[in-house]
Amino acid sequence: MWKFLINDAVAYVRGNVRDFSLNALRLLPQLPQLSPYDVNLVLRENEFVYNFPLEGVIRSYETNQLGSNSPCEDSRTEASLLYRPNGFVCGIFDGHGGAACGQVVSKRLLRYISAATLPRQVLREQMEQPGGCTSQSFLKCHNDNVDFVNEIKPIYEHSFQKYIKELIEMPERDVASELKDAFLKLDESLSNEALTSNDPRTMNVALSGAVACLVHLEGLQLHVASTGDCGAVLGTLDPKTNQWIPKKLNQEHNVDNMQEVKRILSEHPKGERDTVIRNGRLLSQLAPLRAFGDFRYKWSLDIMKKQVLPLVGDHGMPPHYYTPPYLTAQPEVQHHELSVGDKFLVIASDGLWDFLSPSDVVSLVGEHINSKKILEPMRIPEGDITLNQISEQLAERKAGLTRKPVDQNAATHLIRHALGATDYGIEHSKISYYLTLPKDVVRLYRDDITITVIYFNSEHIAELRNEYHPPTLSEPDSPLAA
Amino acid sequence: MIKLTECAPAMQKLATAWSCSSFGLRVGRHGNWRRGLKSCRMLSSSTATASADATEDQVLRKRKFAPHQAADLSENLAGQLPGQARVVICGGGITGASVAYHLGLQGWGKDTLLIEQDRVGGELPWSACGLAGRFEPSYTELKLAEYSIDLIKQLTERGLPTGWRQVGSLNLARNFDRMTAFNRMKSQAVAWGMNCEILSPEQCKEHCPLISLDGIEGGLWIPEDGVCDPHLVCHAFMEEARRLGVRVVEHCAIKKIHSSRGKVDRVETTAGDVNCEYFVNCTGFWAREVGTLSKPVVKVPLKAVEHHYLHTKAIENLDPNTPFVRDFDSRIFFRECEGHILAGGFEREAKMVYEDGVIPLSQAARQHPPDWDHFHELLDALLRSVPPFRKAHLDRLTNSLQVFSPDCKWILGEAPEIQNYYVAAGNKTMGVSASGGIGRVLTDLITNGSTYLDLHILDISRFLGLHNNRKFLRDRCKEAPGKHFEINYPFEEFQTGRNLRMSPLYPALKAGGAVFGQSMGYERPNYYDQNDKKDEFGLPRFRIAQTRTFGKPPWFDHVASEYRACRERIGIADYSSFTKYDFWSKGNEVVDLLQYLCSNDVDVAVGSIIHTGMQNPNGGYENDCSLARLSERHYMMIAPTIQQTRSMCWIRKHMPAHLRAKVNVADVTSMYTAICILGPYSRILLSELTDTDLTPKNFPFFTYKELDVGLADGIRVLNITHTGELGYVLYIPNDYALHVYTRLHQAGQKFNIQHAGYYATRALRIEKFYAFWGQDLDTFTTPLECGRAWRVKLNKPIDFIGRSALLKQREEGVKRMYVQLLLNDHDHEVDMWCWGGEPIYRDGVYVGMTTTTGYGYTFEKQVCLGFVRNFDAEGRELPVTNDYVLSGHYEVEVAGVRFEAKVNLHSPNLPTKFPDREREAYHATRDKRDQEDLLSFSSNLITTNNNTGMTRQ
Repeated sequence: MWKFLINDAVAYVRGNVRDFSLNALRLLPQLPQLSPYDVNLVLRENEFVYNFPLEGVIRSYETNQLGSNSPCEDSRTEASLLYRPNGFVCGIFDGHGGAACGQVVSKRLLRYISAATLPRQVLREQMEQPGGCTSQSFLKCHNDNVDFVNEIKPIYEHSFQKYIKELIEMPERDVASELKDAFLKLDESLSNEALTSNDPRTMNVALSGAVACLVHLEGLQLHVASTGDCGAVLGTLDPKTNQWIPKKLNQEHNVDNMQEVKRILSEHPKGERDTVIRNGRLLSQLAPLRAFGDFRYKWSLDIMKKQVLPLVGDHGMPPHYYTPPYLTAQPEVQHHELSVGDKFLVIASDGLWDFLSPSDVVSLVGEHINSKKILEPMRIPEGDITLNQISEQLAERKAGLTRKPVDQNAATHLIRHALGATDYGIEHSKISYYLTLPKDVVRLYRDDITITVIYFNSEHIAELRNEYHPPTLSEPDSPLAA
Repeated sequence: MIKLTECAPAMQKLATAWSCSSFGLRVGRHGNWRRGLKSCRMLSSSTATASADATEDQVLRKRKFAPHQAADLSENLAGQLPGQARVVICGGGITGASVAYHLGLQGWGKDTLLIEQDRVGGELPWSACGLAGRFEPSYTELKLAEYSIDLIKQLTERGLPTGWRQVGSLNLARNFDRMTAFNRMKSQAVAWGMNCEILSPEQCKEHCPLISLDGIEGGLWIPEDGVCDPHLVCHAFMEEARRLGVRVVEHCAIKKIHSSRGKVDRVETTAGDVNCEYFVNCTGFWAREVGTLSKPVVKVPLKAVEHHYLHTKAIENLDPNTPFVRDFDSRIFFRECEGHILAGGFEREAKMVYEDGVIPLSQAARQHPPDWDHFHELLDALLRSVPPFRKAHLDRLTNSLQVFSPDCKWILGEAPEIQNYYVAAGNKTMGVSASGGIGRVLTDLITNGSTYLDLHILDISRFLGLHNNRKFLRDRCKEAPGKHFEINYPFEEFQTGRNLRMSPLYPALKAGGAVFGQSMGYERPNYYDQNDKKDEFGLPRFRIAQTRTFGKPPWFDHVASEYRACRERIGIADYSSFTKYDFWSKGNEVVDLLQYLCSNDVDVAVGSIIHTGMQNPNGGYENDCSLARLSERHYMMIAPTIQQTRSMCWIRKHMPAHLRAKVNVADVTSMYTAICILGPYSRILLSELTDTDLTPKNFPFFTYKELDVGLADGIRVLNITHTGELGYVLYIPNDYALHVYTRLHQAGQKFNIQHAGYYATRALRIEKFYAFWGQDLDTFTTPLECGRAWRVKLNKPIDFIGRSALLKQREEGVKRMYVQLLLNDHDHEVDMWCWGGEPIYRDGVYVGMTTTTGYGYTFEKQVCLGFVRNFDAEGRELPVTNDYVLSGHYEVEVAGVRFEAKVNLHSPNLPTKFPDREREAYHATRDKRDQEDLLSFSSNLITTNNNTGMTRQ
């Protein structure tokens, strides 16, 4: 089938010959060169920064998104948990086969989790309030501009109420289990809605898919729940060497993950060994090995025949579809207790990880924190200072000025590096080429990129850990303690 | 990434259903999902009108100059504000205070009202350095500064606090050219009555032991300069003004300036209306904005930039008489101030603030946080230059605003747009040095209509609309402050705000190797250099002319070759920048008007060209122009480039009321391209391209014809070149310009036609002793003084402007005379060149200054044009006669070295292989009236024009 050929070619190009192709593209004279101003406009279009007004573990977060698909199939949501002081939850969702599933999950998953992580007692009290509660009662989203249309909203609200009722009946568990459960329950809701409601949109959501990476933070307890191939990496500053150390907080669920491959093979009869994963894909079609939605890999043969194939035609059935489900939305959850050295957390869709490794990302953000100081005007300390001292300080700053980043927003900084990094610094023309690629080929060269960078407040962490020491002069200047 | 493969068509089907049903998501107010964007925009557009009004309101509120304190005070003020005042001064800064004080001195105190939106003198002292110095590049500026300093001294002697101390100013040089500039200054100082001294590095150290001598070549010491406290001086002026009856109203902002019949009539303020005759805009930073409060808008091109002052804490044993030190080449200055050091500088590229032009009204809001990174370069220069300051403790670095004009000169005078609307602004950082003099000259202009100095280089009418463009100002004013401390090289050009006004020939000339200079925004080829004229892509490069030396300029050989082409073959020059006006009327009014404005007789045969001055009542040149009589009631005026705004202003102002509605005057500068072909073959060349007979009999020297050239028609051809060479200037409608140029250039190839730039035509006219307005002639020069008495028709039957003054001068004899001096024993390779402003000595006594100078390629000598006077032993001026001039032994002092010179009183006849009777006969500058008879063509003209029925008067 020619489609397979094309997709293999696509994978080949994206994986191996990007550099070569880019060189070839440079020979195409018809691509318009963008001015630095235009590039900035495009890169900064979706920037968002939120500074937390109250003293907490999180100081601020910066996020940005650069689409490749049209519409962009990535989504992101960040929210503070209500009734839980200092509770924060955020996620990145990379949709495929359309943006529908990603967008729906990005909104609903956080609501499910906001309810799941509440103590049952509080949940019960809220339910008994006059008027009860809605899916949005337990959280406050920061960058939320859209809502579901009126026809869909009651369907989703109904599923949520059902979920809460189940929750109340259940005993309280640890956060990791609650997260896992919320993931699975949401996926279940998607399935039920598609099969029972008449609205074709619910079916569309169920047939498209999304991978997710979700961060839940309460006090010092950081949980990262991940389904699919998004990534989360923690940036830690080693106080002794003053070096940035990356710590991955999830495992991508793709064919490069041997454990995951083994898991899938073990879940299906030996006879399917050659067909379950083929060409680096699940049933030779799907790259991530876990995902929300994508019920064409989950529903039974019976459901497929009765409800799906009439809608999409016979080729809607994946090849060698014998023992469903092949796919699950169950996340892997990692727990990490924050320490004073932990400065920031980056979560991003695979569009970024295609270009940059976790250690690249951590050192780029680390450098960005340092150089951001230069973006601020110099302040002369109180007290006597001689002109010579000022001159020396200015000379130091000046040396740093050459490294002054173009972007305030660390997420934009990462995108710029992802697209434009060369051995000799950021190359404007390279970014311009990536941004002006024609619509029909752009996906071969870059995927949607979504990044959220969360900055931790080291002093607050120190206070919580009860090991706060005022910084002394001998200690290396820690970037966030300033 | 593509994760789904097979079911794409199915998905498509679904997706279509999807987009119809708006995708299951509702878009809120700030939707940033692409799908949401469109509908979001549509949504917000419905509410847009309401919110747009709100923002516009906000902008307007900012611009309306509400007093920044206590709006409720306005009512209390209502009683204070008189309904009537002769002069309303807006702005209670030092300039406004000085104008008020001088008006008071003239007895206008009771009729003067000064309004200030905040408080007089501002709240925060020391946002200036307080130098009262006279190191200025031109005579006018120097004299104004000198007057200011004397005035401050006077006020101090009368017991008013001014902070004045005569500590002297020490100016340091770190390179040869700077030293040359100091030497030139020293030479001029004698003439300008300024006391100064050239110092060796060691002597510099004696005056100020703090400085390091590392890299210092020498210095210039001005003992009579001093320092003062601008804040106190401002209050002193204001106090004196109040004493003289000037009414001062604070917390009152201007809202509108009304005019009727082109004159100021009434001002609207936040505290009520005031009827007035004169309005003076002294609003400093806001002068440009206040300019917009009238109709028409008064253009005051100014831009605010950041400017830092560094204050140290008190330094022990700091000599209170430390001079004001300027280290120009390090771009820094410092002074002692109340026991500590106050330092600052002029960075290479200034930092813009308030790019939208809206400047906060309160001084506190204008205080920017200091930008240390920007000041770093200056700080290091300061510490290098004065090592002891390394140990000094910082008190504060202040960041206050300073405004600059696009040419880094002060702006003053009557606005071209509205009569009786005066402007005094753009005092850079030199408010104290400028304010006294500016107050005096503005008062003179208001009360007398004239003053004691020629102000044309500072006059606001030197600008065009383009200079007031905000983006132009933003670009140019980054560069302007840096110029303040740069060496004042001859023909210095700005690098920014270029390629703005160009003739249609510009691309062709650029390709031909032109190197450009800018005049009134026009890119004018200064010379042509065939080397390195293309960039790396093979395209013509835009190059800006540079001299950057006081000796033999780098363009010497290029200009020599262009000069020879004009003298021996044929040169082609772009004269497009010249000011061009058309005058016409239905009846004879245009002749009446021009007879009244011009000193020459303009009622000549149709087709004639007249050189004439437009004199002011004192007989001085307000304009020097050529008039071509196109038809009986239609004239075309050609005037110097810099006259474009100025002459329109003069003509409007002096147009007799009964002619006002009947004569049309149109500025057609931008409608015509002017090409000059000059040289012995120019007639042959032009006759190849036109059918008209160009023989002197049919088309004599100094006449005009409308010709067909090439395939184009309607080209105004003037048989003059403004250089003394035979040739034509073609005024071509812009759309034909490139065609005519191409034809001329192609046809000229066989004569080896060559492009000639401005420097070449300038060299030609200097050698031929032609005077130019703005360089030789100014508002204080009369035709009698510059050998042009033959162009003044005192007996014409109309009392033209300046006639009585000229009659009087003819009786009394002139006090100065225009001469040409040829320097002997000057080696143009090694000696410093003359660049104008060199003192002339007669028998060892100073008698005057040179105006324009250049190298005479035929004489092979430096040629100086200038004026000589005759002082008696007591310094009184005696009449200057031809005998006096010719009997002396002359020397010209160039940067401290005197060269012997030979004097000429009339244009010389240069040796030529191509003698031409008409041209030989014409002498632009003459000493005898009867030479006019040599103009043999005048009789031809009458015969050729007989058919028009015109006869000469």
